Amino acid sequence: MKTGFRIFLGTLFVLGLSWCGFVLGPVLQLGTQGQAAVLNSSDIYPNQRPGAATLGLQVYRANGCAACHTTQIGQDGVVCDVVLTGAGSDPAAVSNLISSLKLTGLSKDEADAVSGQITAAGGKSETHIVPVGPDISRGWGMRHSVAEDFLWDNPVQLGSIRVGPDLANVGMRYPLDWQLLHLYAPQSQVKDSMMPPFRYLFKVQKIGATPSPDALQLPEGFGPPAGYEVVPTEDANNLAAYLVSLRADVSLYDAPFTTASAPSTGTHK
Amino acid sequence: MSDDLKNSSQTPEGQKSPTAPVWIFALTLLLLFIGGVYFDRHSGWFDAQVYAPYQSSDELASYQPIAGAGAVLLEGKRTYEATCASCHGADGLGKPGQYPPLAGSEWVNASSFKRVEEIPQLGISGEIHVAGQDWNSQMLPMGAALSDADLAAVLTYIRHSWGNNGSEVDASDIKAMRALVAGHPALSGEAGLKAIKE
Repeated sequence: MKTGFRIFLGTLFVLGLSWCGFVLGPVLQLGTQGQAAVLNSSDIYPNQRPGAATLGLQVYRANGCAACHTTQIGQDGVVCDVVLTGAGSDPAAVSNLISSLKLTGLSKDEADAVSGQITAAGGKSETHIVPVGPDISRGWGMRHSVAEDFLWDNPVQLGSIRVGPDLANVGMRYPLDWQLLHLYAPQSQVKDSMMPPFRYLFKVQKIGATPSPDALQLPEGFGPPAGYEVVPTEDANNLAAYLVSLRADVSLYDAPFTTASAPSTGTHK
Repeated sequence: MSDDLKNSSQTPEGQKSPTAPVWIFALTLLLLFIGGVYFDRHSGWFDAQVYAPYQSSDELASYQPIAGAGAVLLEGKRTYEATCASCHGADGLGKPGQYPPLAGSEWVNASSFKRVEEIPQLGISGEIHVAGQDWNSQMLPMGAALSDADLAAVLTYIRHSWGNNGSEVDASDIKAMRALVAGHPALSGEAGLKAIKE
């Protein structure tokens, strides 16, 4: 039985090691993840999704949206742009100086050096932090996705295959009405879309005494037969509410970027 | 054990016992070294806030807004809204008849913060005259659980907001005050506050 005990110990060690890697490690790293402070603001992020959107997450899950869509934005790097905010007492000197300098696409050190030169010439400048990468140049997001973005999602559905576009910020791109039309008839909104229609999330019903106020305003050729109207079910409304709630548009400590409204990531005076 | 078995497990004399070649050890050490360097450069040391393309928390910190008075006020506002605003109001006006205002309070605006800084640390109960009115209520040591920096930030925020105009409070001031008053009971109203040397 000496061997049996050794086998037991060995098995315990191996299973314990993988438990540490798969369970303990992530819990230690992210188990206390909470809402985070938004940079340059007293707001916190993220707020809990509205009720319909929370239910919509389950519709998203039930319909396997994550099989074709990701909800995570990657980022290759970050560059700095130096923006002149004040010419100071000698505008000609500053203007001469900046015409000879490269002001965009700089590293942090280069940007600091340029700001230093502008300050020395009497001008004022700000350094803007600009994330770069293919996802960002496609307009799919402003920064890479971070753990906070998924704080209220259970389960988190990151997705791994991009048959369709990434949806991490789809709420910033399209309004609620568009989402409903697109779910019922994707090709009515995006001509060459290969997304299947989700018609079973809608009801096609005879128009009663008064037409339903929720009926979709479908373009010619996609509508129901004359005398009928298309009305979204609760599932469709929840799913659309979830999609509209997908927006990771604030600057955080772990994903800093300069927003258009609050462009102060390091002011040199 | 029989002699046969004993002999069979032994290497015949004159032959070297089979050992792994030295280059395997060298290669293993080299791979471990390369792995270690890669780990050091790309793991961010398992900091949950460090994502690619950032490689370390130092690099991430270098892209943050420069800390300054503005940052302290924002931090103070956040703490104020979480800890103080339920009684003293987000506008610092307090609640009539229950909790005194902070806006325009002579205790908050005093040139020295030696008195006001002890209120959140120790709590205060009893009669006190604030902004032209007499108050008699109780405040628990709401600030005792805050860090030095957070309590300093919230005091700075209170002394800079709603028309108040007091000096800034630094984390080191709070640290000194805490060392001084450790173990003290709650302040007893105006008399207790006046007993503190400014």
